[in-house]
Amino acid sequence: MADRATIARPYARAAFNHAQGAKALAEWSKLLGAAATAAQDPRVARLIGNPHVTGDELVELLGGLSKNAAGEGGTNFLRALAANRRLALLPEIAAQFERLRAEVEGLVDVRVIAAREIAPPQQKKLEAALAKRLGREVRMHIQIDESLIGGAIVQAGDLVIDGSLKGRLERLGTALQNS
Amino acid sequence: MSIKASEITDLIQARIKNFDAATEARNVGTVVSVTDGICRVHGLADVAYGEMLEFPGNTYGLALNLEQDSVGAVVLGEYQHISEGATVKTTGRILEVPVGPEMLGRVVDALGNPIDGKGPIKAAKKSPIERVAPGVIWRKSVSQPVQTGYKAIDSMVPIGRGQRELIIGDRQTGKTALAIDTIINQKGTGIKCIYVAVGQKQSSIANVVRKLEEHGAMGHTIIVAASASTPASMQFIAPYSGCAMGEYFMDNGEDAVIIYDDLTKQAWAYRQISLLLKRPPGREAYPGDVFYLHSRLLERSARVSSEYVEKTSGGKIKGKTGSLTGLPIIETQAGDVTAFVPTNVISITDGQIFLETDLFNAGIRPAMNAGISVSRVGGAAQTGVIKKLGGGIRLALAQYRELAAFSQFASDLDEVTRRSLERGQRVTEVMKQKQYAPMSVAEQALSIYAVNQGYMDKVDRKKVVEFEAALQAFAKTKYADFLRQLNEKPELSKENDAGLKKICEDFLATGAY
Repeated sequence: MADRATIARPYARAAFNHAQGAKALAEWSKLLGAAATAAQDPRVARLIGNPHVTGDELVELLGGLSKNAAGEGGTNFLRALAANRRLALLPEIAAQFERLRAEVEGLVDVRVIAAREIAPPQQKKLEAALAKRLGREVRMHIQIDESLIGGAIVQAGDLVIDGSLKGRLERLGTALQNS
Repeated sequence: MSIKASEITDLIQARIKNFDAATEARNVGTVVSVTDGICRVHGLADVAYGEMLEFPGNTYGLALNLEQDSVGAVVLGEYQHISEGATVKTTGRILEVPVGPEMLGRVVDALGNPIDGKGPIKAAKKSPIERVAPGVIWRKSVSQPVQTGYKAIDSMVPIGRGQRELIIGDRQTGKTALAIDTIINQKGTGIKCIYVAVGQKQSSIANVVRKLEEHGAMGHTIIVAASASTPASMQFIAPYSGCAMGEYFMDNGEDAVIIYDDLTKQAWAYRQISLLLKRPPGREAYPGDVFYLHSRLLERSARVSSEYVEKTSGGKIKGKTGSLTGLPIIETQAGDVTAFVPTNVISITDGQIFLETDLFNAGIRPAMNAGISVSRVGGAAQTGVIKKLGGGIRLALAQYRELAAFSQFASDLDEVTRRSLERGQRVTEVMKQKQYAPMSVAEQALSIYAVNQGYMDKVDRKKVVEFEAALQAFAKTKYADFLRQLNEKPELSKENDAGLKKICEDFLATGAY
């Protein structure tokens, strides 16, 4: 959601800047990831909106679930979120944090959806080609979706390269309908 | 659409043959919300302002708001089938419409798709709907007339090719009638017409089409229709689409007239879109850029030099100037011209024709208020004979208006005043003209000459209209050759002056009125 992303941005940036300064990006990543997963859990989500549960209790719970990975700074961050009643934004904050981190580390997450298994040598080739195209290191996540019939779809952020047979057939369909 | 089965096979074969199956990288986003034709789209990091977006189901949209996390887009057409989470792709193109002579005689929607049931349009060219107007270097001053066929307008507020003349007035004052008659009068002159209907009833549009067909004026006319039932986005872009179609003729060294009927409704549609896009409202709840909305549209009406035509046509057309005359229509509420949109458009255009309810109800049709209607550049383009004769008309009417108010109090008037009043009344009568009865230059000259020279002074005021009709009929039967010559060489030379005089005197001698 656009509005949630806007609210989450300053928190994510603050957390990122702090983590970068403390050279603890991986730890913060772990903390935010775990806390976000926890916050998304329906049982925890119910607690976050509950007026009977105090902020401190929530911080304790979330900190415990994420094993206080980022030390005192992390706990303080959660406390600040709790005080401002922004704990529900944790998933967005974590996602933005990861994006900022990937940018700094020159990494990009690429989702490859293929019709069938990609053999390891082909994977290597694809990875190299994508790294060249995108100008940074590639972290591949491969999914199999047989409904594509053939080929593959590559997603890197907003960029989508549709090389699937299904996509082509769809395009042929629209081309036939339009003169 | 009538296509044979074998043709369909050929068509599909051709399309499959031409299908470009190359894999392409595209920017995508997901729909976050759909509200009243406005989509909020997450992603689309590389989208450009005004770029066309592809929604599922062969639907397109325009990116109008580029924000930090999302893009606000307006859907062109139906939006009911778009749901949250749908994928949106960029196209790398800005919105285009088909243009060319193939469009003439057709009724199309704001995207250039035919809606008249006469089959597909095989237009060879497409043109973006938003284009920057020709610069000063490429322009030429207005010097040729557009004849509306109305005595009142051609004599007092002449319109030149490439001019922007606003037609403004309350509802039911004959704004559209004036525009339609102008289109009808362009038959056989080579001037192409584009009529853009924005926010009108379907029935009104159908009426216009029928009237134009009846008078054989569809052959040189394109109608762009965005009726009141179409989404606001279509009503917003329709004038730009029509303008692109008109520019094609201008670019190819031809003359065209475009009528925007009306821009008030377009501003309303734009206001709706802007408010739904959460842009801050300003005066009368219009967004901050309504002025630009209309100025960038009307600025595209221009007269361009032969060099420009040569450049745009790739050197194929030489020594011909092109023009696009703009006739925007604005509807006022209770004669209030100080509202936001009327003041804007008055200041953008090169003059305005004010139509008033009071005059209309008093039987003066066209209901033009001669005192405040002006044409700032048309005088240079007026035909010689009308220009010379028309000066007297303006003066007579101005004096008449001044005296008319005053004479209501005075019981006995001196001879000069009385004569001025009588002349003014007769001029007012002569300026009346029926709808769908445009007059040629020679016919106009004859009527104006007759009233100017006092041939109608002895005619009863209520009989002036009949007198004029009889005079025209007389001239048409007895002096057809002279009228034809005058039309070909419309100047007030000594011979022509004598000719007009002879017709009037001969007619008076017959005593047939």
